[in-house]
Amino acid sequence: MAKLITAARQTKQEKEPALKGTLASVFLLGFFIIFSWVSVYFLFLHRL
Amino acid sequence: MAQPLEKVDHRDAKLALAHLFVAFTALALGGFAGLLQTLVRSGKFELPSGISYYTILTTHGVLLGLVLTTFFIIGFQFAAVSRTTGALSDGSRRTGWIGFWLMTIGTAMSAFFILTGKASVLYTFYAPLQAHAGFYIGLALVVVGSWVSGFAMFAHYARWRKTHRGQASPLLAFMSVTNMVLWLVCSLGVAATVVFQLIPWSLGLTDRVNVLLSRTLFWYFGHPLVYFWLLPAYMVWYAVIPKVIGGKMFSDSLARLAFILFLLFSIPVGFHHQLLEPGISPFWKYVQVVLTFMVIIPSLMTAFAMFATFESYGRSQGATGWFGWLRKLPWSDARFFAPFVGMLFFIPAGTGGIINASHQLNQVVHNTIWVTGHFHLTVATTVVLTFFGASYWLIPHLTGRVMTKAMNRLAIIQTIVWAVGMTFMSGSMHVAGLLGAPRRSAFSTYGNSPQALEWIPYQIAQAVGGTILFIGIILILVIVINLAFFAPKGETEFPVAEAAAPYERAALALENWKLWIGLVVALILIAYTVPIIDIIQNAPPGSKGYKLW
Repeated sequence: MAKLITAARQTKQEKEPALKGTLASVFLLGFFIIFSWVSVYFLFLHRL
Repeated sequence: MAQPLEKVDHRDAKLALAHLFVAFTALALGGFAGLLQTLVRSGKFELPSGISYYTILTTHGVLLGLVLTTFFIIGFQFAAVSRTTGALSDGSRRTGWIGFWLMTIGTAMSAFFILTGKASVLYTFYAPLQAHAGFYIGLALVVVGSWVSGFAMFAHYARWRKTHRGQASPLLAFMSVTNMVLWLVCSLGVAATVVFQLIPWSLGLTDRVNVLLSRTLFWYFGHPLVYFWLLPAYMVWYAVIPKVIGGKMFSDSLARLAFILFLLFSIPVGFHHQLLEPGISPFWKYVQVVLTFMVIIPSLMTAFAMFATFESYGRSQGATGWFGWLRKLPWSDARFFAPFVGMLFFIPAGTGGIINASHQLNQVVHNTIWVTGHFHLTVATTVVLTFFGASYWLIPHLTGRVMTKAMNRLAIIQTIVWAVGMTFMSGSMHVAGLLGAPRRSAFSTYGNSPQALEWIPYQIAQAVGGTILFIGIILILVIVINLAFFAPKGETEFPVAEAAAPYERAALALENWKLWIGLVVALILIAYTVPIIDIIQNAPPGSKGYKLW
């Protein structure tokens, strides 16, 4: 019984949580950074 | 039977509270100065005769940028260390009190010279602007006091490790020590310029000052200063918020690694504040910009860890879909809501930082009010809202009280008020900065030049935002006073999160201080040795002091 519980715990621990929302969030964050950076870069080019 | 709460020792609680009281007093005075500034810059308001715009600007910057932050951080860290590694020894506590009084006396001394108009040199105190020597001596006392407190924490931590060999230290203690190591290493730069350059110069012992050297030593300190502010906010995000929401920390080792990366890469990067400064070789500016960009890695690791913590918790509560987990978060709990809004504001804040540190883009925003808008997002929103959120449990924990529902509701309103005020103020600062509006200077139409007239609507928006923010300051002071003196007696938890994976071996390697401090020193030597020799060897004659007020 104890072995079964340990095995169940191990399986639970090894199972990765589903983090698709995190993936989407970090992508959105990355896009925001790139968009902002490129916007100011074009402002720089425009003022050359 | 319920387990008794793990509490901060009541003698340590007094030490932490003393720091918090000075911090919130600084917020009241510095916040009022900030309100006056935004009103003056709108062009619709003039200060009563005799009061200079630059006096209130210096008051605002020093009290909020240096005093509020340093006192809150050291008080919070004493509480965190005591809570997670046990009560301080009598010696450590006494050392902590010596640090507190040195800092308080230093603050009072600097404040006296600022308020009497003898130190209107702004919080960056750039030479050749010259303040009264008492201002610099006061600042030196603040720094020395903070070192003394840092040594008290180091001694306590070392004692814990001696009695817990082979164990990783509690996360909050590890983080507090990392932050104090960062502070100690970086504040050597500001101490060097203040003690060896500015104090002798302001006393008339030397006639001239090497301006570039003093600015370089200031920014050697000034950028890691930002991380000294930010890391305690990250402590709350990593080690407290998961417990507040009822979940677990995504990864203990990831949090420790992020802190070590901040320690390594936040110091040898000061040149990105001096990109437009003559006298520094472009090569060394480039090296430090590359190192600056390395700091993005632990920042993005933190963003990932926060999203993952929230999503894991939401899914454990049955959330479905891509973003269903957002609905499961405790939005009505101010202990979560205030820091969460702080996190949201860190997205544009961090993005602005990347723009500032890019050489070409820096030319668009350098010395404009964009930069002011940027650090009002980082320190005055992300950091400060997290500190407010932490105060909602820390102060009642330390005073033996509980936050009422009414106060929690007021704290939610306070957060919303702050977010709205800052959106107006910082948003219009960013736009005006892109249109060329300068930072630091008082209201002027610059001879009615069309470009300067274009900035005025944004300056009025800043005054509107500043006024809303001042209402936010009144609200937080009401809450803090209530939690300290009037809230019902009771026990409040000091929340400390558990990691999802209970034991991770990597944690031990991340406490190899000889290795990490050695690497910090090596990176600093690589980034600064050659340029500083150059700045000293090829220096122009130096400048006499100017008092332009």
